[in-house]
Amino acid sequence: MKKIVALFLSLAMLLSVMSFAAAEDDMTLNVMLPDFYSDSDWVSLEDGNPVLQAIYDATGVKLNITWVPDSGYGERTTLTLADPNNMPEVMVMQGVRDAIMISSARAGAFWDLTDYVADAENYPNLAAGAASVYDNIAVDGRLYGIYRARAYARAGVYYRNDYAAQVGYAEEPKTVEEFKDMCLKMAAIDPDTYVFNMCKYVAGTIGIMTVMNGAPYQYGVNAEGKIYPAFEDEAFQEGLDFIRDLYAAGGIDPNFMTIESGNWNDAERSDPVKALMRLDCLDNGYRYEEWLEENKGVDPAAPVVSLLTALPDKNGNIQIWPQNIGASGEIVVTKAVPESKLPAVMKFLDWCNSAEGQTLLNCGVPEKTYWIQSDGFRYTYPEGEQENSATYANYTNTVQHSLNQLGMNVNGDLTPPAMATALREEYNQNLLDNAKYVIANPCYTYDSETNNLMGASLAQDVEDAQVQYIAGKIDLAGLQAAYADWHVQGGDDILAEYQAIYDAEK
Amino acid sequence: MAKAKTVNTALPGTKRYGYWKKLSVDILKNPWLYLMMIPGLIYFLVFKYLPMWGIIIGFEDYSPFLDPFRSAWKGLYWFQRFFSTRKWMDYLSNTLILSFMSIVFTFPAPIILALMLNEIRGIRYKKVTQTLLYMPHFISIVIVVSITYVIFGTDGIIYKLTTQMLGRSIDYLGDPGVFRWMIVGQNIWKETGWGTIIFLAALTTVDTQLYEAAMIDGANRAQRLWHITLPAIRSTIVLMLVLRMGSVLDTGYEHLILMSNALNRSVSQTLDVFVYQNGIVNGQLSYTTAVGLMKSLVSVILVVTSNKIAHALGEEGLY
Repeated sequence: MKKIVALFLSLAMLLSVMSFAAAEDDMTLNVMLPDFYSDSDWVSLEDGNPVLQAIYDATGVKLNITWVPDSGYGERTTLTLADPNNMPEVMVMQGVRDAIMISSARAGAFWDLTDYVADAENYPNLAAGAASVYDNIAVDGRLYGIYRARAYARAGVYYRNDYAAQVGYAEEPKTVEEFKDMCLKMAAIDPDTYVFNMCKYVAGTIGIMTVMNGAPYQYGVNAEGKIYPAFEDEAFQEGLDFIRDLYAAGGIDPNFMTIESGNWNDAERSDPVKALMRLDCLDNGYRYEEWLEENKGVDPAAPVVSLLTALPDKNGNIQIWPQNIGASGEIVVTKAVPESKLPAVMKFLDWCNSAEGQTLLNCGVPEKTYWIQSDGFRYTYPEGEQENSATYANYTNTVQHSLNQLGMNVNGDLTPPAMATALREEYNQNLLDNAKYVIANPCYTYDSETNNLMGASLAQDVEDAQVQYIAGKIDLAGLQAAYADWHVQGGDDILAEYQAIYDAEK
Repeated sequence: MAKAKTVNTALPGTKRYGYWKKLSVDILKNPWLYLMMIPGLIYFLVFKYLPMWGIIIGFEDYSPFLDPFRSAWKGLYWFQRFFSTRKWMDYLSNTLILSFMSIVFTFPAPIILALMLNEIRGIRYKKVTQTLLYMPHFISIVIVVSITYVIFGTDGIIYKLTTQMLGRSIDYLGDPGVFRWMIVGQNIWKETGWGTIIFLAALTTVDTQLYEAAMIDGANRAQRLWHITLPAIRSTIVLMLVLRMGSVLDTGYEHLILMSNALNRSVSQTLDVFVYQNGIVNGQLSYTTAVGLMKSLVSVILVVTSNKIAHALGEEGLY
């Protein structure tokens, strides 16, 4: 009897030792991510999410995710960082040079990851990232996060070429001047049909239009080596004037300032179509075309959406608005992670960049959230089914959700290639061909105390004035008064601080 | 504390004791009353007085990763910063104008409505009307703003109607001149019905014999209203007004943010909106704490002044 008891006891001990060993490899990771599917339910690991289960099986990491609606992510970031005792362990910082990112990094909210990124032996995927982009996100020369890679040359114009053909532009415009002419002619098609699809988020539209027209992005350096704000460039004013002319010609919805960015698609996906053109990331252009094919019976062989980018301005220069700096935010590891756990967390972030990690985060699990069809491309539905089939779309949303927000892809896109329509191929080709035309803000990495403190509200005032100018509420004198105000309120200090760094670097 | 005072004054002929002496005598006399007061005291200490220490971050360069008492001391730096922006005048005047409009237009609305309801004779009709009037109070301001967008936008029915009637269009959602009226209008629509409750309650205390006597003396409706009803609820009105003054600078930032856009921001930027934008969105906790503190000071001045005025009018006021 004693023997049997002893046997049981030793067996129990063995089991407990084994389970302890297993627990040591396991790791729970609290993650905060922006959520783009706030209206759908999220299936957690406990409830059997197959993607999280696959991540757990591959790495032993149990992801415990806090989803924050994207529209409120900025303020949630501030509040989260105001409570150091309850921070998530890993989170997305959306603005790599925002005041909150810089001040939190300096205050010691995040782990310094510089040495990990340099360690190619243990973290090969992180080390494979672009040094130039890492430089862009560094704070005081140290890295506090892993950037989320984005293509440089995403921005441009997409428009309905079936409407453009009605005003004599069956062929795509070849220059910025032709483009402007086309827009003004399209404005005359119908008083209820607008040309530019605009919403509350105007920085993209104004930026793309003015940079295409030859203006610098945010700041420029003149011939004497002096830094000046982009809005004081002649080409900028010309681009802004064009938007104002288009507005006056009935080419822009007078209510655009009340349209939330979440409803940006409404005007182009309405019946009858309310807006014919949008200045934005061009991936929205091919998605728009695919939507038209699905819902409006547009023939995929004859796309009605055209993508426009890299047009020469009247001086023959080609410039593309930098939708980003090669990154869209970064993933930071907060001090909620104890130092002993940090290598394991970094190992996990490295894995997220591997082909396996990228595929799980961006596409999910094969035959569950994505399907490789017989043409060899990746689809979000099985062969022979409809894309909009509610079964697959809902399932994908509830299990895959916005997991791609944790993806970094610093070593390039290693996911299975998605289905390739003509427009998607054109878009991908554009990315390759046009990266050289993308301009940069010369002061991007400069640290200005005044800019950290007041830059955002100063920029808001200038943007407001520009919108009022477009809408015809103020004239050129009013606009210039707002620019003068920018200088007085702190803009001059920002310029002086930038200039000092610029001169020191020269 | 009010209890202690009244009891003390009711002790005639006693010598002039010190405050603490009097208090301890009173505590011995009414131990149970003081015991019952303890939970309330604790509530105020823990939830109202203790958090006030947070004001300290308005005087330093606060970082959540350092102890509030170890962050760099900045003194009045943030106040100077705010007053040197020149824009502070806009923020303050936007706040004060909106507050003033809400006192002048929003505050009397429930009184007028309550008096109208009071004149309704059919009980059932009155009850149904009251219930319907309470409804908008339960609608979120987000929904109210959405409805406004739908009916006042360029595709909206009111926009089209007024364009037809006036022969020119009014930009309800963008025109800075219209903005404040829209805010006041929305507040009146949403809160007037709910606001009648307290005045209707006050009206039930009016002695009906007074009306009968006045009717016999030949007073008409308007005279009865002016000479009986209004004086009867006068103290309620003054009390509500003084209470209102304490929160009058709270312009409701969520409402303003929902209604504001690039075209009307010159009038929609109040102190509350500024604090939200710079504190919560841009993360400048010290700066905005200082601005919030300044707003509180203005509020205190308003309450004390209005209470003085109430006393001057012969009303009890708040304290």
